[in-house]
Amino acid sequence: MALMQISEPGQSPAPHQRKRAVGIDLGTSNSLVASFLNGSVQTLADENGQHLLPSVVRYGESGDVVVGDVALAKAGDDAPNTLMSIKRLMGRSYADVQSAAVLSPYTLVDCGEEMVKVETRAGQISPVQVSAEILKSLAARAEQTLGGELDGAVITVPAYFDDAQRQATKDAAKLAGLKVLRLLNEPTAAAVAYGLDEKEEGVIVVFDLGGGTFDVSVLQMTKGVFEVLSTGGDSALGGDDFDEAIANWFMGDEYPELSSGQRRRLLTACKQAKEVLGDPACREAGIVLDGNEKVLTREELDKLLDPLIDRTIRACRRALRDAKLSTDEVLNVVMVGGSTRALRVRERVAEWFGRQPLTDLDPDKVVALGAASQAEQLVGNRSGDEVLLLDVIPLSLGIETMGGLTEKVIHRNTTIPVAMAQEFTTFKDGQTAMAIHVVQGERELVEDCRSLARFELQGIPPMVAGAARIMVTFQVDADGLLQVSAREETTGAESRVQVKPSYGLSEGDIADMLKASWASAGEDKEARALREQQVEAEALLQALSAALLADGEALLSEEEQRELLAEMETLHNERESGSAASIARQIEVLGKASEVFAARRMDASIKQALAGRRVDDL
Amino acid sequence: MRAGVSSDTMSDYNPAENFFVLMGLPQQYSVDLAALTARYRELQSAMHPDRHVTASERERLLAVQKSSQINEAYEVLRSPTRRAAYLLTLAGVDSDMSSTTFRDPEFLMQQISLREELSELSQAADPEAALDQFYQDVDAALAQHRDQFARCYDGADYNAAREAYAKLQFLDKLRYEAEQQENELLDY
Repeated sequence: MALMQISEPGQSPAPHQRKRAVGIDLGTSNSLVASFLNGSVQTLADENGQHLLPSVVRYGESGDVVVGDVALAKAGDDAPNTLMSIKRLMGRSYADVQSAAVLSPYTLVDCGEEMVKVETRAGQISPVQVSAEILKSLAARAEQTLGGELDGAVITVPAYFDDAQRQATKDAAKLAGLKVLRLLNEPTAAAVAYGLDEKEEGVIVVFDLGGGTFDVSVLQMTKGVFEVLSTGGDSALGGDDFDEAIANWFMGDEYPELSSGQRRRLLTACKQAKEVLGDPACREAGIVLDGNEKVLTREELDKLLDPLIDRTIRACRRALRDAKLSTDEVLNVVMVGGSTRALRVRERVAEWFGRQPLTDLDPDKVVALGAASQAEQLVGNRSGDEVLLLDVIPLSLGIETMGGLTEKVIHRNTTIPVAMAQEFTTFKDGQTAMAIHVVQGERELVEDCRSLARFELQGIPPMVAGAARIMVTFQVDADGLLQVSAREETTGAESRVQVKPSYGLSEGDIADMLKASWASAGEDKEARALREQQVEAEALLQALSAALLADGEALLSEEEQRELLAEMETLHNERESGSAASIARQIEVLGKASEVFAARRMDASIKQALAGRRVDDL
Repeated sequence: MRAGVSSDTMSDYNPAENFFVLMGLPQQYSVDLAALTARYRELQSAMHPDRHVTASERERLLAVQKSSQINEAYEVLRSPTRRAAYLLTLAGVDSDMSSTTFRDPEFLMQQISLREELSELSQAADPEAALDQFYQDVDAALAQHRDQFARCYDGADYNAAREAYAKLQFLDKLRYEAEQQENELLDY
């Protein structure tokens, strides 16, 4: 008699088939990786028991690259080659970084419209490469802990990240060899982390105050659906400003001029005093600079912080207004970010919202925990208690029109994915090409918005002015990334669209970086390419097998099933013995062969969703 | 100018699918918002790309398109003004009113009075209270013209419905301008 396998509901009956999925919080100062382990979602520690990985990368004398505390230890001696706070440079041009006054001790390379680079002893390094090093380090930690290669990762980004910053993050993951299941907004991840056990319904506000930025999001949670209703914030407000305010109070009139070294020591002392007063039992904390002490009382601290907290409350008011809600409709306020440890912040938030904010989870870890929980679900390890995250686009997408004005195509706070089609026409007889400039931002003038892409529609059939109808489709996917396609409608001619991202990397750039990283790791390029195609083939075969098992008989004729199975068989054989190129070709063939099946499955899902509803209505 | 999602690769995909059919609602101006929202969540629970992460690339692409279409249908049907425009389009009536002039003296008076109210907002003794009053007045006018649209549309008087829609657009614009003022006022 066969032994019966007993498993808890919701758990996979075959643990060896569990996929390894992680959530990664790629932060400005610190990064974290979390996963489902021993029955719960938790952040993973390195061999020294440290969970937080300082987001610091150092390019060493002997060509070595180190990440984290080891790199941080050298920050003082080797500043130009020790890169910190690199997240601020992601998807940013030299000019952006200058105007945003991002302080950095290293030499930035002006790459014009393209993403800024950093000059190091290892050459000019892109922020994408630096982020990839951090991701690789976290992935290695996770592989060590989970015992094998990762199947996928959810990586979090600030909700206000624009297209260029998101694309840069995704490129970094690609460079690190990670399969990105989803780019998830940090506040959404935090809400998920708290929402896990509480099957409540209602409005959740995520209040995220980090070192340098403030971010507020309003979410609606209904039956496992998390809908982001609005986002807002202040990209230049955080705990660093708290420290500044305390430092200015300390200096008063007594210290008009401080050297940069003194100032740094003072800021550190202020930060410590602030942290001491994060303990409700403490009423005062001393701040010492070069032997001079001043005592900071809680009352004084509150007075210093209040004007800064006012700004966070104002952003909350706006976010609620955007969501068309009032404070008494808010069910819970979730606190994220180290700066929410300041008691005054908690007090003021509680006072304004009329309820105590949730602080049970470590505000530094909550984002990674939520990301891991979502990764676990997306990779297919959990079913039943699934949640669905409906995010919004944080900034409007528009196109440049006459006179340098923007016309919004997709408005901020629109739920993604979203597609909008816009019709254009020619203004000259016989015109065969047209330039389109896509921008992101809220301002009316193009020059005040972020330039995302300039591209040219070519091959428009020559017609009289105004006769051509060019339909340009802007598609934003669930990660918040934009894709543009165009078609001439009157003749059906497909226009060739060249999208040149202003700040992103081209596919060529990424290929070059990948090659460079393989070379440095001593990897064989051919072997790596073959392995990648094999993995892709396997993923496609698995997806199709599962689909056939579920819907094959219902949606395909016997003939159609046979044809599909034959192509799958071919790919299976190619995977075993073919080359990278031949596997890629067969993946393409099988992809095409499965198109009809895919479309029918989608329609069936819709019908099923509708049918389910009708039954409910009865 | 607006169109549905375009699709380059899928033959089965129907960009022109009626949003009311997609959302399982009767094709009329009055919409049961609770039913719309419930349907929306159910459809997204089935179609969102997150539900198809491990599927083949084609299915993932389709999921992005379908999910986008569901989002658009929800946005259009949820907004009273966009819903009106969409119904006019379905009825084959051009909803572009940019060149229309109103010959309705009552509406013109309403316009002038609201415009005045708006321009005096920043000088009001209590600007926030003045703003709230203004929103109330605009919203009352909006409600009035939405009723008018519904009556005309359901009675198949599309010309009158079209004019009511143009008034909705006008009032929306006023509301938007007030919101811009509020931004400045509250220093967002």
